[in-house]
Amino acid sequence: MSFTTTTHDDHDHGHGHGPAVEGAENPGGHHEPAELRDHKERLALWMFIGGDALFLILMVFSWFYLRTLNSNGMWDAAQCTTANPCEDGLGNPIVAQITRADPWHAVIIAGLTILAAGFVWLAEIGAKKNTTKGAISGPAGIAFLFMVLAIAMQIYQFQVLPFTTIDGGYASTYEFFMGSTLAHLLILAFIGLGLWIRSSRGRHAGGTWYRVRLIRFFAVWVALSTVILTVVGSLFA
Amino acid sequence: MSFEEQVDDIEANTILGGEPFFSRAGGKIFIIWLVFTAIGVLIGVYAPHHLLPTLLSPQGSDVWKTIVVFTVLAAPVAAFVYAVSFYSLFAWRHKGNQDEPPPDAMPQRGNGPMTVVWLAISSLLVVVLLFWGITVWNTQQVTHADTLQVNVTGQQWVWTYSYPGTGVETRTLELPLNRPVEFNITSVDVTHGFWPAVLGVQVDANPNVTTIIRTTPNKLGNFTVRCSQLCGLYHAFMNNKAAVVTPQQFSTWLQSQGATQAVADQSAGVSSSASSPTTTLPGVTTATPTTVPGETATTLTPDATAPTTTAPATTAPAATVPDGTTTTTGPADSTTTTAPA
Amino acid sequence: MTTALAPPLLEDTKLGPNAGGLYERLNIWTGLGFGIFLGFVAWVVSHATLQGSNWGSDMVVTCTMLGWVIGFNIGIGTFNAPIRWMLGHDQTHEDELYVAGVGQGRHRYLKYCTDHKVVGTQYLVLVMVLFAVGGTLAMMIRTQLITAHSSFLDPQTYNAIVTVHGMVMIIATIVMVSGPFANFIMPIMIGAKDMAFPRLNAMSFWVIFSAVPCILATFFLGGVNAGWTTYAPLSVQAPPAMDAFAMCIIVFVVSVTVAGVNTIVTVVTMRAKGMTMGRLPIFTWGSIIGAGLGLYAMPAFLLAMTMMITDRVTGTSFFVAAYGGSGWLWENVFWIMGHPEVYVILIPPVAAVLEIASTFARKPVFGYKVAIAGFVAIASLAIMVWAHHMFTTGWAPNLAGPFMLTTELISIPTGIIFLCTIGTLWKGSIWTRLPMYFVYLFIWNFIIGGVTGIYLSDVPADQYFHGDMFVTAHFHYTLLGGAMIGATAAVCYWFPKMSGRMLNERIGKVAFWLIAIGIQVTYFGQFWEGFQGMPRRVAYYDPQFLSANQMSTIGAYTLMAGWLVFLYMMLHGWRNGKIAPANPWHSKTLEWKVPTPVPLENFLVDPVVTSDPYTYGEGVPDGQEVPDFAPSDDPELVPAGSAGSGAQTDAGGDH
Repeated sequence: MSFTTTTHDDHDHGHGHGPAVEGAENPGGHHEPAELRDHKERLALWMFIGGDALFLILMVFSWFYLRTLNSNGMWDAAQCTTANPCEDGLGNPIVAQITRADPWHAVIIAGLTILAAGFVWLAEIGAKKNTTKGAISGPAGIAFLFMVLAIAMQIYQFQVLPFTTIDGGYASTYEFFMGSTLAHLLILAFIGLGLWIRSSRGRHAGGTWYRVRLIRFFAVWVALSTVILTVVGSLFA
Repeated sequence: MSFEEQVDDIEANTILGGEPFFSRAGGKIFIIWLVFTAIGVLIGVYAPHHLLPTLLSPQGSDVWKTIVVFTVLAAPVAAFVYAVSFYSLFAWRHKGNQDEPPPDAMPQRGNGPMTVVWLAISSLLVVVLLFWGITVWNTQQVTHADTLQVNVTGQQWVWTYSYPGTGVETRTLELPLNRPVEFNITSVDVTHGFWPAVLGVQVDANPNVTTIIRTTPNKLGNFTVRCSQLCGLYHAFMNNKAAVVTPQQFSTWLQSQGATQAVADQSAGVSSSASSPTTTLPGVTTATPTTVPGETATTLTPDATAPTTTAPATTAPAATVPDGTTTTTGPADSTTTTAPA
Repeated sequence: MTTALAPPLLEDTKLGPNAGGLYERLNIWTGLGFGIFLGFVAWVVSHATLQGSNWGSDMVVTCTMLGWVIGFNIGIGTFNAPIRWMLGHDQTHEDELYVAGVGQGRHRYLKYCTDHKVVGTQYLVLVMVLFAVGGTLAMMIRTQLITAHSSFLDPQTYNAIVTVHGMVMIIATIVMVSGPFANFIMPIMIGAKDMAFPRLNAMSFWVIFSAVPCILATFFLGGVNAGWTTYAPLSVQAPPAMDAFAMCIIVFVVSVTVAGVNTIVTVVTMRAKGMTMGRLPIFTWGSIIGAGLGLYAMPAFLLAMTMMITDRVTGTSFFVAAYGGSGWLWENVFWIMGHPEVYVILIPPVAAVLEIASTFARKPVFGYKVAIAGFVAIASLAIMVWAHHMFTTGWAPNLAGPFMLTTELISIPTGIIFLCTIGTLWKGSIWTRLPMYFVYLFIWNFIIGGVTGIYLSDVPADQYFHGDMFVTAHFHYTLLGGAMIGATAAVCYWFPKMSGRMLNERIGKVAFWLIAIGIQVTYFGQFWEGFQGMPRRVAYYDPQFLSANQMSTIGAYTLMAGWLVFLYMMLHGWRNGKIAPANPWHSKTLEWKVPTPVPLENFLVDPVVTSDPYTYGEGVPDGQEVPDFAPSDDPELVPAGSAGSGAQTDAGGDH
């Protein structure tokens, strides 16, 4: 029992202090202080982001692994000529290096995501100041708009790509990056829409500004990961 | 023993945390441990020899030695765990009414010295194991100048061997005794595992990649090459006969597979004048070269031999084979076999 | 003692007619209905639009499985709360009470229920079903191998069975402890009223529930013929079953990630007053370390399986060498998941074994902090050893040395865990009830699994053993003989709390002996096969391996008999067992201090913790108690019956 005196309890959330907030009870009806909920949700979010970061790292690892390996000369078909054609994933001949994706599409998507994250941040500031509900829902609405634009841009990029998934390692991995970005943007848009609707209904005014901060964490993470994928996909093609 | 006595006991002790080293419990456990260790060491020394097939190369012997050494090293540790757990069952078990819990035992929350000793011993063992492993691994990496090249191609569900420079392409593997051999392994479809078990080497056959393993057969004998990586429907049947034979027999075998005598002798490392097939090496007991039944001979095509009469057997393929040109095409269309450049 | 002023039980709360909203109408049957309906719709639509195109069958299977999973989760209610959140209609207090199971009786076990005890019980049943499926498949494998050229199974079916046996068992063993016990027991252990995120908890169960039919569907879609490791490019060429297999894993990853986050957040933020991290029961430590390692492993699994799906469905070439990919990429990403996952399976049951050993030796856990450090060391090393599965793949031979080093280093913390286990038994008052039987079996088996592991960590020896039955025997000794037997001990230990009834130990001992002998015979047979050089995953073999295989098969039948007896014991106990007292083992952890059956929110009064639960033999009152009369939010609360002894308890802490 040598721990009684040596271990310091950082998280002694005694019961009964802190305001119990609306919409923040346990299923059993046990009201929790806001700071405990904030702590729980932040911790959980950071762990999800950590897992997602690992996913990102492994994606980037796959990119560089396949690029270095250049198996069968099919990273970008640079070695394929009319005299010595390579085959794509369906067995059709590839005779020349495939065209790179236009980096501007990815840059625009990354920019839109950064803008969305910025406006979520503005919404958070509004919520923290506890002013009018418009100070939250206004930026939240604009953030949602940017998220939708980023999704539209991502779908557009899929349609204008000068290659398809079957064109070798570069094409595969680049499109995988795009798919990953799209999936993140869809999740972010769901949350962003929720933020907009909720803040319009006045849900985030008052003591629950920390939940807007959670959304901001995620939005910033999505922006960051989009930037990383854009940099890798454009500069290290 | 009262509570106070037990506490005194803990404080008075260093190693086994409850008793002087050779007192009742400690002494008995020590004896049980000795017996278990002896059993473990005996098993380690004698069992692998009987369980393993006859190993035909130094790498194979390394496997056997490693098992013996590791078992002998692990035996005392495992024996200690078994000794204490068995002894605890017999000596410290609560007898009597099992419905109620026995009185509490001593409040021993750990034993620093014992933990340190345990940690030190296990760390030492790891260092020994690692030293052993790396040393053996490094000795296996030595390359020889005059190696016999064998190109191995895996496909569902057969291995194909070709001996560059001879034009010989077979589905059975024969290797000359005491000649360093280098297998260049690739696959035409999925991943296979090239596993000539008794040679003590193994590596996967990956499509579009050539992997290399080296060994030197040092005993005569027959064995089976198997696929060690699940490769689809007939994975279980992806094996073939193989043999280590004398150089003279190897030369004869190459000729029977379509190589000219000069090329065969050169590949086998025997001088043409002395290629008497009856010579056996001194000290070799199991000289049983087998010509493997006729199924394999049908796949051979003599037309492949023509351009290769003077090629030495040292053409190593590139590390990455883009489209499989350095290996022969698969046996399925063996009538169009092309010889390696 | 004054009489207790027991607050009313939450279960008795009367809810309004509209409590629960949509949840009132949703249960497992609507889930199955929606799932089958949406799966069917997805099949019809994708079949009509995509079947003719490239990779058409793969797209159809993927869409169908996705339809099933989404439909099931709509039907069970997974998406209710997120969508209500998005629309700003948060669930009311009454809704939350309804979803926690108030007023639903036994029906709550078939519904989206946020009570952690219901989720734990659901997990226990699911794990038993998965083990029954995996065990049946194992028996079919062993039956096929009873002769060298059996005609019991054709090779395609055999390969499909080998694959599904492997993956079903992996899924089952990953959740076998972190599902039932980390959900049911662990929150009570730390004095929490529920998990940190009860809705996510229910979600993690129903999501994994919806993953299981996907993997069983593989038998009807041609069968996955690539083994549970599904090495590319064989798996890229496999029948459409592989798409269902990959979808199963993707859904499973969602479940495990959510459950892992939930477990860790619960322990970090929900502990009772006075329950410091240093006073946590060791099982709690094992749970969070296992969960944390799972969070590391699962993204890699998700990436591997997503890439597999895109390779098969959209024609990317991550794993096809001819088009620019590499099988080694699959192997790397898979084993970056695969080796940590082994310890995700292993650490929680090992921690449970320490917990049980302490209770039944009536002694504190030997080296509590050392054991935690050991678990942490195992977890940290586990992420650096993946390439030892790739020693013979030809990938990066230069890394053989470093990976040999990290792999063999793991034997040091594993040895420490052994020391802690036998140190706990040392001079204990060994109370040989049924859980203790399995603790001993765990020790005996796991040491064999550990020792045989060091042969495989050595590259020269691994070149002989890789891909042969020795490996199979080795990891069955660790995962079945070690982890699963540890989990079995945990079942025997916590069954009285979970079911409210005692197990019949006479039946249990029959099961124990059959299992104990069965394991040794089965896997010594496989060690023998491995020494002789028989490859894994073969449906037919050469006659020289016959004796060893017959030995293994006989052992496997014995093992199966043992598990059937064990299953009978559980079912018998669940229906007819003696009513269990609240604390049948006289243990000191908190879950035994609450009534059985455990009420909703577990504690009528908040527990107070003044020491860790290992005060055996120290002559002090339990430091983990649930006071039965004090008002719950009094900050100066002292444990019941120990008024005035608080100082003494603290002094004991300096021992």
